[in-house]
Amino acid sequence: MQRNSEAPPVQTTSAEARRKSIRAWLVPLVAFTLVYLALVAMVRNQYYQLMLTLVPVWATLGISWNILSGYSGLVSFGHAAFFGLGAYTLTILFVNYGITPWIGIPAAGAVGALAGLIIGYPTFRLRGHYFALSMLAYPLALLYVFEWLGLQEVSLPMRRDAPAAFMQFSDNRIYTLIALGMMFAALLTSLRIERSRFGMSLLAIKQNEIAAEAAGINTFNWKLKAIVVSALIAGAIGGFYAVVLLVVTPQTVFGMLTSAQALIMALFGGVGSAWGPVVGAAVLIPLTEILHAELGDKLPGIQGVVLGVAIIAIILYAPEGILWRVRDMLRARRSAPSDGQAAPHASAAPQAAADLPPRHAPAADARVMLDVQGLSKSFGGLRAVQDVSFAVREGEILGIIGPNGAGKTTLFNLLNGIIKPDSGKVAFVGESIFGLPANAICQRGIGRTFQVVRPFPRLTVLENVVIGAFIATDTDDDAYVLARKALARVGMEDDADLLAGGLTTKQLRLLELARALAGNPKLLLLDETLAGLGSDAVEDMLAVMRRIAADGTTIVIIEHTMHAMVRLADRFVVLDHGTVLAEGPPEAVTRDPNVIEAYLGKKWSAHARA
Amino acid sequence: MSEFLINVENILQALSAGLLLGGIYGLMCVGLGIIFGVMRVINFGQGDLMMVGMYCAFYLFGSLGLSSVLGAEVGAIVAALLAGPIMYVFGLLLHRFLISRVTGVRVASLEGEGHYAQLILTLGMALILANGGLLLFGSTPVSIRSSLSSSAWEVGPLVGDYVSIFVNKARGIALIVSLAVAAGLFLFITRSRLGKSLRAAADNPEAAIYMGIDVDKAHRMAFGIGTAITAVAGGLVATYYPFQPYVGLEFVIVMYAGVVLGGLGSIIGAFWGGMIIGLVQQLATLVLPTQLQNTAVFVVFLLVVFLRPQGLFGVNVTRA
Amino acid sequence: MLELDDVHVAYGGLKALEGVSIKVGNGDFVSIIGPNGAGKTTLFKAISGTVTPIAGRIRFDGQDLAGIAPSERPHLGIAHVPEGRQVFPNLSVLENLEMGAWTSHGRRDWADNLDYILGLFPVLAERRDQFAGTLSGGEQQMVAIGRGLASSPRLLMLDEPSMGLAPAIVDTIFERIVEIRRDKKLTVLLVEQRAVEALQSCDRGYVLETGRVVLEGGHEELLSDDRVRKAYLGI
Repeated sequence: MQRNSEAPPVQTTSAEARRKSIRAWLVPLVAFTLVYLALVAMVRNQYYQLMLTLVPVWATLGISWNILSGYSGLVSFGHAAFFGLGAYTLTILFVNYGITPWIGIPAAGAVGALAGLIIGYPTFRLRGHYFALSMLAYPLALLYVFEWLGLQEVSLPMRRDAPAAFMQFSDNRIYTLIALGMMFAALLTSLRIERSRFGMSLLAIKQNEIAAEAAGINTFNWKLKAIVVSALIAGAIGGFYAVVLLVVTPQTVFGMLTSAQALIMALFGGVGSAWGPVVGAAVLIPLTEILHAELGDKLPGIQGVVLGVAIIAIILYAPEGILWRVRDMLRARRSAPSDGQAAPHASAAPQAAADLPPRHAPAADARVMLDVQGLSKSFGGLRAVQDVSFAVREGEILGIIGPNGAGKTTLFNLLNGIIKPDSGKVAFVGESIFGLPANAICQRGIGRTFQVVRPFPRLTVLENVVIGAFIATDTDDDAYVLARKALARVGMEDDADLLAGGLTTKQLRLLELARALAGNPKLLLLDETLAGLGSDAVEDMLAVMRRIAADGTTIVIIEHTMHAMVRLADRFVVLDHGTVLAEGPPEAVTRDPNVIEAYLGKKWSAHARA
Repeated sequence: MSEFLINVENILQALSAGLLLGGIYGLMCVGLGIIFGVMRVINFGQGDLMMVGMYCAFYLFGSLGLSSVLGAEVGAIVAALLAGPIMYVFGLLLHRFLISRVTGVRVASLEGEGHYAQLILTLGMALILANGGLLLFGSTPVSIRSSLSSSAWEVGPLVGDYVSIFVNKARGIALIVSLAVAAGLFLFITRSRLGKSLRAAADNPEAAIYMGIDVDKAHRMAFGIGTAITAVAGGLVATYYPFQPYVGLEFVIVMYAGVVLGGLGSIIGAFWGGMIIGLVQQLATLVLPTQLQNTAVFVVFLLVVFLRPQGLFGVNVTRA
Repeated sequence: MLELDDVHVAYGGLKALEGVSIKVGNGDFVSIIGPNGAGKTTLFKAISGTVTPIAGRIRFDGQDLAGIAPSERPHLGIAHVPEGRQVFPNLSVLENLEMGAWTSHGRRDWADNLDYILGLFPVLAERRDQFAGTLSGGEQQMVAIGRGLASSPRLLMLDEPSMGLAPAIVDTIFERIVEIRRDKKLTVLLVEQRAVEALQSCDRGYVLETGRVVLEGGHEELLSDDRVRKAYLGI
């Protein structure tokens, strides 16, 4: 899905970024509102008035879906559950207790939010297929329950005594205005979430949930928050839908088509973008409604066919939705003349490695940062890591090496809590971190990079890096400051505003490094930071890593590129078959017959002349 | 007749109804199961493919004259079985022009994003089939009726003059045919070279390529077979159940519940999963109001997903 | 028989192979050794077609493989025994071997090949009906090699058959590879990290480091060259 596009640099800084992005949206927002209001004022036909009301209604449901699924990547096929509960909440309050929709709509939102909490709590334990399928089951189960409760078809009674107090207007245009109001509320919520810590954390989850945990993000909490906000909006708009249609049936509010519409609006318009669902609804609702009105009697089902064709076409030709597609096209046209300079300028290599002052290994009496003793982990019968002990001193660069399948990455996963160890001791600055979850370990000051770097191509470098900074501060503005500092530490301060989609491999590696640094870790675990880089790039990376260490961050690195490792690391720990084979300075370790045997096979030393 | 015997009769009747229903559900689930098992694709359109199969059988039976040539009783079964090969070709074409664009070896290795496109694409396909069906076939429910649809075998009386179970003949025959088709498929998958190659492609697509197996072709075949099997099940349902173009929705959840219950990826598990769903649905009527029998299915489904996500016949979905 | 000419492969921006040229003559036993991450597995995948080179040519029997689908290549006589064994876990041992015999040659020679494979690895005869996923690592490696042989190949490509196995089992596996080559007069291309084992039995070897061939020569020559050690350990 990655679509590279060279971005014209847009200056963004911290909170200013958000204000700017909202301001950038202000023009289309106002324009859209004006056009829409003009339409509302002009249209007299009741049917078209209803349609004008339904556009913002479905847009709002699409926005609600987008907040959960678009941002976090957890596809929900069950938004009808929240929508329907909202509709029935309002209806029952009205019919049975005479409570006005003015109160009913907030109540519907509250019930939706509660349902989100109740559904989200167990369901977020599931992943992938299972999550999608069980989300599908909730609205359908509710559908039958409401039928059984005898609520097949409930009409809202007319209150001619006080129509306005019960949201019953003779002028249909007022419904449209209310719907627009609700849509804007949802849109602003969504926009606010988008670039805040909330939205960025959800994006991080979408990208790689494990990496997000390792960056200190409590993924479960954020997902729960997202579903609650999302369900609140869906519930409220469901309640309003009941007011507009005056009749509620389980099929119309809990049916699969309702859930499908929510996601179709968002996908068609642009997934993961607050405006996407609005665009989707503005195109698809009139299209399908008009087709239905004009051809419905001759061609029943034409509506559904068109919706189906629309999403298939979208997924095949513009998988991120038309909004992104149009943007990319505009951008391509705009940057075409200045093609040459649009290429990302190579980040200034800080200094050639050769110019660096020689590295001084920390004194033997330096403080022990990480103390690992007897760490073990088995998978089934396979002992992946057994009885591993070593210590890392403050300011040190420790290289963990070993042949394929030696257990290096498993060791990292144990150290930062992605996998729970079976036994042993792990102490970080004197405090035990054994068995803590990844986000708690990150919180204590252990950062981590991963072998596979997957940034958000649509976000700038700075925005990609700021995800790592949230752990270190409570305010988003400070997070941006930290992110900039981290970029400066890796020599990428000039690339902060580039879109990550156009970066080179080296820049991606630096970005990943900066993201890990942004949380101000005391200890950094680096997983194959040099793999696949050309020799010049390796030199630059070495210089960066040495500088980071010189600034006082302790580094533990896994790496296969031994030529680089022997120059980078102060000390090696050699793993083989999950155990520590040797430990010591590079020169000694690389001459150790056991190590040579592990790498090159038995009897190498006997063969070799050296 | 004592109250006890009435209860016994009710339970036995529900049990037999559950078995009859479960057998058909089992076959439907096998169709979905083979598609998931080989391609790792969740096909939201499976219910609607079944619907197309039902209409296919309906027209074979009526307009194309199977009922007049073979008689209503035999004609109905033959129509259901013939829907299979026709839908097999339909499935191949669907895969060739649509499904293959978002599936295959390349996508199978992607987590997340790849599946997302598949879900949406099959959802779109489901919408087009259901509503296109409405366009083509109209919304009036139809069925393939023969004298069997409204007659029953009586099993019993089992205790003196009491406790008889009635088995609808159309359903009974549908069960027998569905068991035969499922057994045939099972033999194909486990015994034939081609069937084994499908399993190999499911187990490890990359290694299958190293064997010289054309994995995309294997996927296409699996999609065709899955479509055909579900269509046959649909044709059998049509012999006793009136249907309209939206009928797919009623069954797609049952299929999913069955396949997950049996363990995603296990084809035999899918059959037993479907069987269990049928039993749960019918036995639930003993203690719950009829409208809630589907809710009971969802509750069982959710419990399985939460407590034993690998399913009752757990084949692990993640590959080694 | 097999000829790679200046092959380049990249994953996204990551360069995996940068201009690798290799020749394997008919009946040769060629080993490619090198440390982790040198690009050995990528090289094999390029030959099998599961990754596509961005530049360079691969010829098999003089035929350019570029236009030939990955699943067609085994039918030409190339058997790839992949890294990490990759058996079909939910197929029995026998069914795994049967899948190896998917090619027409494999089908023709099935009875002979099966006898030969079970003779080579008697333990597989005992476990013929067991799911391959339940076997030990060493036994799975035997299944993987057997599966490759079942296609009656002319070129047998083995990707790190020693990975993750105990030393005693590694010895057995290498002995069997030598035996296979002797019995079947096959061309063998072996990729290994364990240099000594791989070089001892080969005619010629290449040393691969970060996507490039840094050394090549006869096995005696390489076995006594300290630069091999440097390629692995840096200094």
